Amino acid sequence: MEDYKFLFKVVLVGNAGVGKTCLVRRFTQGLFPPGQGATIGVDFMIKTVEVDGEKVKLQIWDTAGQERFRSITQSYYRSAHALILVYDISCQPTFDCLPDWLREIEEYANNKVLRILVGNKTDREDREIPRHIGEDFAQRHGMYFLETSAKEAENVERLFMEIAVELMEQAKCKELPKYDGSLGPINGKTTSVGDSSCCLRS
Amino acid sequence: MDDDLPTDFQVIVVGTGMVESIVAAACSRIGKNVLHLDSSDHYGGLWASYNFDGLQKFIKEVNSDPKRQLQVYNLSEKWYIEKDSPQEKQEDDENKTEDSKSEPSKKVWSQASFATEYRKFNIDMTPKLLFSRGPLVELLISSNIARYAEFRCVTRVLTWLNDKLMPVPCSRADVFATEAVSIVEKRMLMKMLTSIVGYNEEEMNNEFKDWNDKTFKEYLEHKGLTPNLIHYVLFAIAGGTNKMPCLEGVKECKKFLMSLGRYGNTPFLWPMYGSGELPQCFCRLCAVFGGVYCLNRPIDKVATKTVDEGKTVVTIDSKSKTLNCDHLVIGINECPKEMISPEPAESCDISKAVFITNGSIMKSEKEPLTLLRFPPLTDEDNTVTVLEVGPATGSCPKGLFVVYFITKKVKTAESDLKPYAERIFDMSGGDQLEASEKPKCLWSLFYNVRDTSAPVSGAADSVHVCCGPDAGLDFDRAVEQAEQIFKKICPGEEFLPRAPDPEEIVFEDEVPRGPEFRGDDADAEPQQ
Repeated sequence: MEDYKFLFKVVLVGNAGVGKTCLVRRFTQGLFPPGQGATIGVDFMIKTVEVDGEKVKLQIWDTAGQERFRSITQSYYRSAHALILVYDISCQPTFDCLPDWLREIEEYANNKVLRILVGNKTDREDREIPRHIGEDFAQRHGMYFLETSAKEAENVERLFMEIAVELMEQAKCKELPKYDGSLGPINGKTTSVGDSSCCLRS
Repeated sequence: MDDDLPTDFQVIVVGTGMVESIVAAACSRIGKNVLHLDSSDHYGGLWASYNFDGLQKFIKEVNSDPKRQLQVYNLSEKWYIEKDSPQEKQEDDENKTEDSKSEPSKKVWSQASFATEYRKFNIDMTPKLLFSRGPLVELLISSNIARYAEFRCVTRVLTWLNDKLMPVPCSRADVFATEAVSIVEKRMLMKMLTSIVGYNEEEMNNEFKDWNDKTFKEYLEHKGLTPNLIHYVLFAIAGGTNKMPCLEGVKECKKFLMSLGRYGNTPFLWPMYGSGELPQCFCRLCAVFGGVYCLNRPIDKVATKTVDEGKTVVTIDSKSKTLNCDHLVIGINECPKEMISPEPAESCDISKAVFITNGSIMKSEKEPLTLLRFPPLTDEDNTVTVLEVGPATGSCPKGLFVVYFITKKVKTAESDLKPYAERIFDMSGGDQLEASEKPKCLWSLFYNVRDTSAPVSGAADSVHVCCGPDAGLDFDRAVEQAEQIFKKICPGEEFLPRAPDPEEIVFEDEVPRGPEFRGDDADAEPQQ
């Protein structure tokens, strides 16, 4: 078995073009993919980080473009430990869609899932959403809040590290949504949280 | 946003049922440019699962739209509990304070408490199991789509024998542990089952060549099996009836036995959150490889036109836009009549029912996941398949069970299935807390589904019509049809080759599993 103590599933949602894939690739690969375009071939990415001397593996899932016409499968939300809702601070419509996304999250995600609101693209000079508006929104809906720039690598590391720290704390208090006891993946691969009472899909 | 929808694709798939979704994934996987649409706001079509709210919407829709009744009809929903339960608020408060001290006492459910917990229900329109070594499990593994789904093992197989529920011994250990069968019978049974597992296709045809026009029951009698054993093998293992042809029975038995010992104690797996998750897993793969997804997108008209060099293009009108493709794959529930050729022959429709109960049909230490095969109670009836799933499968809130009934239609769903339900549930609507042998039925839904599982062909070579759900226990026919359609669209291409892994494979401790099926003879090892 690989060397890590915790594995968490983190999923990203938000309108097309807000930079979800860029956030993931900046964090996992340390690069900013040039050019726009749908996310082809990327399923989920993995990065192992260290929290308090313990190895934590983050499995970060992207939408595979299904957000474009608001057609994300329910199964995408299943078993997520953390959910990052992203908007573009330079694009009002991406912020205006947040209530729709929240409705979908309420419907399909576990109600204990850790939620983080992220305003991306702080490198842009044409900001349309002031920071405090985003902060307010997050507070009203019980979400953590952070502004990031995938391009300038600003706050990206911090975003995922804070998620890892928070989830680990929850896992230690056993507050984590439990997906326990299921057979899990049938292909013999299985990933687990903590004491192996939790089986997640890999 | 809809206006951004590109218009030209190699393959357009309409409908997100099982067959359509597998074809979409397979085409996208080998690089075809795929658009996948559905007229409704959710995935799955006739294969969908609903939360309790969604299910209510579905019932309303069907009752108010005569067009929907071509597929689903005779819908009859019934509550066996009060609208509101007056004590409930009180009880809730009590539970909060006592939570840490002791288990809360059994909950009294009301229609209002169902509504509050609506999200925790995942109720399947087409509940099905997977054989552990069946084609769908193999496909999920070989394509790497297994990573999108989780499963639970069916923990027991039951049958109805001498007017009560009886566990069916599945594995060798079960057979020897059971007290329902004598030692002599055990040897007899093991000998027969071992020989069935040992036959290859050729030997099987050879061994049974004189049995072509005889029934499986006659064969079992010929082998000297006692009535009890015949019941187990014929009804519970082969899932047959008195009329089941011999070779079919042997094949069904072999399928059952070969799937033993891979995951749990029985040959079956159940998808977490219901069968409706599986089409979505294939859709995810399709999207990962570039497939474009758009729900809430009804189509108005389908036509074909011949362009230069005799090439045919399929055009689809949808929301004042014309979409073009080389191949249209369309679910039978979304398909305009004129595109089906010829009209499918009259077939036997399906009777279904869903029950929500406050306990398992047969108590067990751990939460059970049960397959029950009811032999026909009358000569007119067919075998009734019953699946009972609990909260651990993500199908319902704690304290409840969802129970599915499926059979071939004789009269109506209600008259076909109610006599069976009454055998195992208390349907009196009485006090929920009252101790009783049978679980209380809290809610029921009966409905008939038109059988659209017969293969049909499209009116043109480039239109591929996907069949609807069949009455069978597994997904095998859907997988088979999807592969056939894919081969027509992409001749010579590999069907769902393995998708690359984003990480190194991690092996962890094995899932506890039952023993493989083994006979008395050491040389009768099952094939891997």
